[in-house]
Amino acid sequence: MRALISVLILSFVCLAGGAAVAQEGHPLKGSWIGSWEKNQAHGDDVLLVLNWDGKAISGMINPGTDNMTLKNATLDPDKWTVRFEADAKDKQGAITYVIEGKIENLAMHNRTIVGTWKSQRGSGPFRIQRQ
Amino acid sequence: MKFVTGGLAAVLAIFVLAGAPGLAHHSVAAKFDESKSMTITGIVTNVDWRNPHVHVFVNVRGPKNEWVNWAVELESPIDLQESGWNRESVQPGDSVTVQGFTARNGSRQVWSNRMTLTQTGRQVLNVKPSTPPAPLAKRPTPTGPDGKPRLGALPGGVDGYWAFPSATVLVENGVKVDIRPDGLLRNPAADAAKVAPLQPWALSLYRQRQTRFLQDDPTFLNCKPPGGPRQFQQSHGFQFVEDPERQRIFVLIGSGNRNFRIIYLDGRSHVGQVGGDDDNPLYYGRAVGKWDAQSLEVDTRGFNEDFWFTNGGLPHTDQLRLVERFTRTDFDTLRYDVTITDPGAYTRPWSSGWNLRWVGGAELPAHFCQDNRP
Repeated sequence: MRALISVLILSFVCLAGGAAVAQEGHPLKGSWIGSWEKNQAHGDDVLLVLNWDGKAISGMINPGTDNMTLKNATLDPDKWTVRFEADAKDKQGAITYVIEGKIENLAMHNRTIVGTWKSQRGSGPFRIQRQ
Repeated sequence: MKFVTGGLAAVLAIFVLAGAPGLAHHSVAAKFDESKSMTITGIVTNVDWRNPHVHVFVNVRGPKNEWVNWAVELESPIDLQESGWNRESVQPGDSVTVQGFTARNGSRQVWSNRMTLTQTGRQVLNVKPSTPPAPLAKRPTPTGPDGKPRLGALPGGVDGYWAFPSATVLVENGVKVDIRPDGLLRNPAADAAKVAPLQPWALSLYRQRQTRFLQDDPTFLNCKPPGGPRQFQQSHGFQFVEDPERQRIFVLIGSGNRNFRIIYLDGRSHVGQVGGDDDNPLYYGRAVGKWDAQSLEVDTRGFNEDFWFTNGGLPHTDQLRLVERFTRTDFDTLRYDVTITDPGAYTRPWSSGWNLRWVGGAELPAHFCQDNRP
């Protein structure tokens, strides 16, 4: 699974040519890749696809592989902090991930979200960059 | 010590500019701190007469009596030429004194408010305020053979374009805020929420852009052309080219890179304008128009999010829809009204509008952002 995600991310980066696509709308919208370190259940690499429909933030973690649909995704625009929750499963059973972070380099197309993730299995640093 | 040669000056100029962000044509405040004045006196080493801004490079004595090369930035060649200047008005070897503003990033750049030839005291390369040409007399709205108003020049007539917008910033009708022509609010903390009915995230992003003096504007950073209503609020105007046989109107945008937008009048739908690309949002969206009495009503949807659609940095999303009305109220006046609907960024539809003046007998000014050095 981890190898598959790595291949998918590598393919994504290659196809994107390494260049960020301009996006001046909602700061979360788009594809993000990065890491949630020390995640033994789903690997260190992570891919998020986020969307904004005018009322709610939606998205998925590791689409095509783990398919974890985001729930309770929120943005505090005063502080540019985010919180995502997603349900998943591993060999031990159900997991709920909680990701909290802050958007950095807001003005950049390849802005980042830096924070932490935690679940019943552990916790660690979280960092993704918009592609 | 003789001043450096042109070749060395060019090298120095590259180093000076390399320390600056890749700003192209920009709001002065985005790059320069208007609260910090400075004066330099030195010898001109090079005059770079190019769009979007002219640069004059000046060797100035440093603290150890060494020569230090400064880049003096001025208005565009178009604006300077309209004020009677040309690329030889200041020449290498001239001694000049420059009063202006310092660069925000601390590099050796200065925005010139006043450049004076030291030997004669003559002020040079100053720009007179641009004013619209005065119409000879009030003339009726021109019409074509079909009786519809002509938005551009008459067939066989002299060319012309629209410029001098009465407003250069998109603000909701009826709202009073203290805002500069380049879109910067003088008090963004108090006034940002008044400009338009922004959703919370959009308001916060708008404030952030304002507090950064609009320096992240992709039009300035990457020479992206003005999209949406912004194309009708630029200093170098726009031109309509009407093609009745093909039932379309071309909007030539004078302040981008001679980009154009097409308004289709043949009754087609918004979907299917680009074969195989029906659902892909586009920079200028998909525009269809129809005549409503004496006004051309244009409905545009399918925008992407690659640009700022206003001079002040109001955000939009790909849910943006514009309904624009172009009314040539007389020969020399065009009324532009727009209703903005974007449930991704705004809490309700809102409207704005302004007038433009006809500049007859002239082509669009040759302004090309790409001409700027990298």
